[in-house]
Amino acid sequence: MSDLEDKVALPPEAIKLYKRISSLKEISMKELEKEMQLDRGKMEYLLSFLISNALVERTTTVNQKYILTDAGKQAAEKGLIERLIVTALLNKQSLNFSELAKILECNKQEMNAGIGYLKKLGLLQIIQGKLSLLDEKIEINEAMQEVLKELSKGNEVDITQHQKELIQRNLAFVEEIKDSILKIIIPYSKSKSMITESIDKSRLTPAMIRNGSWKTTKLRSYNLDGDPPKYYPGRKQPYAQFLDEVKQKLAALGFQEMRGPIVELEYWNFDALFQAQDHPAREWSDVYRVANPKLGKLPKEKHVKLVQKSHEDGYDTGSKGWRYKWSPEKSARLVLRAHGTSVSARTLVGLTVPSKYFSISRCFRPDTVDATHLSEFNQAEGIVADPSITFRDLLGILETFALDVAETDKFLFKPDYYPFTEPSVELSVRDPKLGNIEFGGAGIFRPEVVRPFDIEVPVIAWGLGIDRLFMVKNGITDIRELFSHKMEWLRSAKMS
Amino acid sequence: MVSIKTSYTKMKELLGKDVTIEELDDLLAFAKSEIDDYVEEEDMLVIDIKTSIRPDLWCPEGMVREIKGILEQEAGIPEYEVKKSNYKVIVDPKLATSRPYIACAIAKNLNLTDYSIKQLMQHSEKIDNSYGRKRKRSSIGMYNLSMIESPIEYKVIDKSHKFVPLEHEEEMDLPTILEKHEKGHEFGDIVKGYGHYPLLLSANGTTLSLPPVINSDDVGRITEDTKEFLIEVTGTNYETVNVVLNILCQNMVDYGSDIYSVEIIYPPEIRKENEVTPLLKKETIIVDLDKINRDLGVNLTPDEVIAALRKRRFECKATGKSELEVEIPPYRKDILHWVDIVEEVAIALDYNKIGATKWEVITTGGLLPETESENKVRSILVGSGGIEIFSNILTEPEILTTNVNLTKVDLVKLQNPVSSTYSVLRDRLFPLLINVLSKNTHETYPQLIFEVGEVVKILGKRVLTQTHASFGFAGAEASFEDVHKRLHMMLDLLDTEYKIEPISHPTFTEGRSGKIIIAEKTCGIIGEIHPSVLELNQIWVPVVVFEIQLPSIPTLNCKKKFTD
Repeated sequence: MSDLEDKVALPPEAIKLYKRISSLKEISMKELEKEMQLDRGKMEYLLSFLISNALVERTTTVNQKYILTDAGKQAAEKGLIERLIVTALLNKQSLNFSELAKILECNKQEMNAGIGYLKKLGLLQIIQGKLSLLDEKIEINEAMQEVLKELSKGNEVDITQHQKELIQRNLAFVEEIKDSILKIIIPYSKSKSMITESIDKSRLTPAMIRNGSWKTTKLRSYNLDGDPPKYYPGRKQPYAQFLDEVKQKLAALGFQEMRGPIVELEYWNFDALFQAQDHPAREWSDVYRVANPKLGKLPKEKHVKLVQKSHEDGYDTGSKGWRYKWSPEKSARLVLRAHGTSVSARTLVGLTVPSKYFSISRCFRPDTVDATHLSEFNQAEGIVADPSITFRDLLGILETFALDVAETDKFLFKPDYYPFTEPSVELSVRDPKLGNIEFGGAGIFRPEVVRPFDIEVPVIAWGLGIDRLFMVKNGITDIRELFSHKMEWLRSAKMS
Repeated sequence: MVSIKTSYTKMKELLGKDVTIEELDDLLAFAKSEIDDYVEEEDMLVIDIKTSIRPDLWCPEGMVREIKGILEQEAGIPEYEVKKSNYKVIVDPKLATSRPYIACAIAKNLNLTDYSIKQLMQHSEKIDNSYGRKRKRSSIGMYNLSMIESPIEYKVIDKSHKFVPLEHEEEMDLPTILEKHEKGHEFGDIVKGYGHYPLLLSANGTTLSLPPVINSDDVGRITEDTKEFLIEVTGTNYETVNVVLNILCQNMVDYGSDIYSVEIIYPPEIRKENEVTPLLKKETIIVDLDKINRDLGVNLTPDEVIAALRKRRFECKATGKSELEVEIPPYRKDILHWVDIVEEVAIALDYNKIGATKWEVITTGGLLPETESENKVRSILVGSGGIEIFSNILTEPEILTTNVNLTKVDLVKLQNPVSSTYSVLRDRLFPLLINVLSKNTHETYPQLIFEVGEVVKILGKRVLTQTHASFGFAGAEASFEDVHKRLHMMLDLLDTEYKIEPISHPTFTEGRSGKIIIAEKTCGIIGEIHPSVLELNQIWVPVVVFEIQLPSIPTLNCKKKFTD
């Protein structure tokens, strides 16, 4: 601890703050704010005098807090699934899967997790589909249950042993709580003699300029070393900004933007794209269905009949078609747009030739949200229609995307499969660290797709995984960060 | 996409050469497959196959068949001899309304190891699940032939019929199997839909299986000691049933087995003639050389196309000046149109060698007026000090309702949400801003945030997507005026007149909130969030927000987008 060598002039309010910190030796920013009844901006201003003169130092602390998820709250309230299973089996001796599911009133996945847990501990056996206990041990994973109970009450509890399990079982998530701690370097008692109250002559006032008193006043020099108070300008969300740039690039390449609705008819999402009505991608596990209203109206145009023919017998394309009875009811079901190609499909109506289109659209898939999956994501999609276009041109288009959008010359083409294109290609980008990354897909629309819309020329369909591209470019490994609501990131993420 | 597990060592054995993981991945690309994972300690590869219409590729033998073609180790359609057996299957006419088709074959001289049995089972399961549409369209059964006598009956049987299902010890009648057995749970609904029970029965009275649910525990159990197999596929689609059998027979041949045929005696209600399966007659398709050359942008001779297609395991011959006849291997039913053959030629030429062109399709590009309009609003709000946020369109109902003191809201809901956190579509943005503020109370104030984004609404029986803009100001000093002046300037810059009329709204403080009206139409809301809502969200500073529908601002070019 050193004493002050030079005299220091401080504004009266800063001295007041200094005295207070000095008397406490150490205080968190939040508490001080509350106590002094100062807003953050003013406080930062005053602190800048104390910090730049090395009277006070500031350190930032990060505390981790475990917050229960919905599943965690439920487990805290009703009990952990493995405990519920044990209780159920103790009551009934042995149960089959469906009986157990009925008692537990939980989903299959959850139940299976519980069963797996008990099997691992060797407490459970399954014989001919019947579950029974091997050991009548009642208190399973008691410590964990206790931790959940405490967390649900908001109490402090030692969780070092349980951190991993809490996160892995999705019972809790971690929230980071940040604060600054202010510590006294030179106590006021020691520096008192060196400190003078400045009559704030740092400020050049309009009156001084007008009356000429500036000529005789010495304006105090600013301390140019210290950081200024924090200031957060308005800005675009980093990922939204990136999407803007991709749009600009595509427009510059001559692509015209298109859009479609979020709630989509299966007709545009699947049927118009020659995806058979019993195709696995149309099942519950692969596409979100809307509950209210369940059905929309098919368009009145003649192409609906021709799409039907295309599915049933290939229409006039020479194709065999899928050879089944096509149902307009299935086609009228409402889903959440599962891929941007539905927007391209809508654009096929009255398509002008030549033309190039793109859209960047929010798409939805029933995935459990984790570091690599979101329930919604963004896709760049589009089409190119021209009588002269060939498969080699399609590769050329993908090459342009690799060079201009992904900004890399290390890429690779692979055969791919889409129900609506033939031939189909995957574009992979070679990343030095991550290996091959699938960046896009493309193909020439099948005749079964375009003929019902009276199109005679080849139409190329392409799509780019821009979420992944943004992540690779910015070193983001958790896809959830694209939609991050952390103010700190939103305010301070670097512009790339 | 289908994913399988297999052994790296066995894969190399099949290929007959030593390849690194990277080399193998490059080769697998020709079978539309890629390595998803390699677990070195277990010698295990996880391979993803991207095509959902080529079940023949969902096993190492199928992939290697393609790769050997590309490497020019083999060419054309693999041929094998089918010998005649004395086995017959008699099909019951009552099955015409439920599960009418069956195809069978016998495989002899098989030497399966535990590993190859597991691989075989994996392949059957993948086919049943995806190509067989969870056994609805087709399902596979395999049996120990030595316990079966001809003729086999494929018939409707009374529900009181009993047998011991696989993995069980006691006899059960058929409803009990559907009720109690694990597979009965999974696939019982298919049978319930039929209104009767289909059964495969040996002449000696032994039950083979209850298709498509479960095999019997004795005849239907395959082990390393099983040397002779009966393979059977039943289903609702004639073509699917037969191609699945062909795929399995080709695999058995690749395992070194001999294939024998089985006669299927169909009643006239189902098919006019009896059949001898597997049906290995090859389908053909005519392609035009000029069209192939045009589509690909190449200039191949007929001989080059023939060579390319033989590499892809087709047979091909010139039948006219520019006409070629292509023979399709019997394990494939994915060729619907000649464009499918065009792709095969392209794959044989190698996408990375065929040469990308400097393409030229001259068109004028541009953003939609909607996007330009949204960008105008975004830049004004950024200029107003707003930090843009990006939130999920699919969200939690509580965020849109109880969290902002609303009860009856007509939201678009999902039938099949994965979790309630993502189960409704947002119909407005400001509750999401409140949610963001509630998660950031530890950050410095003031916090100025905004979002310009799509929302989804129900209008009568129709659903529409439109863009809203919402701005929020949170801080000890936040006042109605802070937000009002920003809204005012935004609309002034957009040359739009508006007025605000007082409103009573559960989210806002009475007397400090109003609806935004443009051209006599309500199109938004502005106000101070009610302290009870702040308390509920644990936000301890005042918050003022506005939200406005962009299609209602006449100088902008945003439109409502109806689904139909």
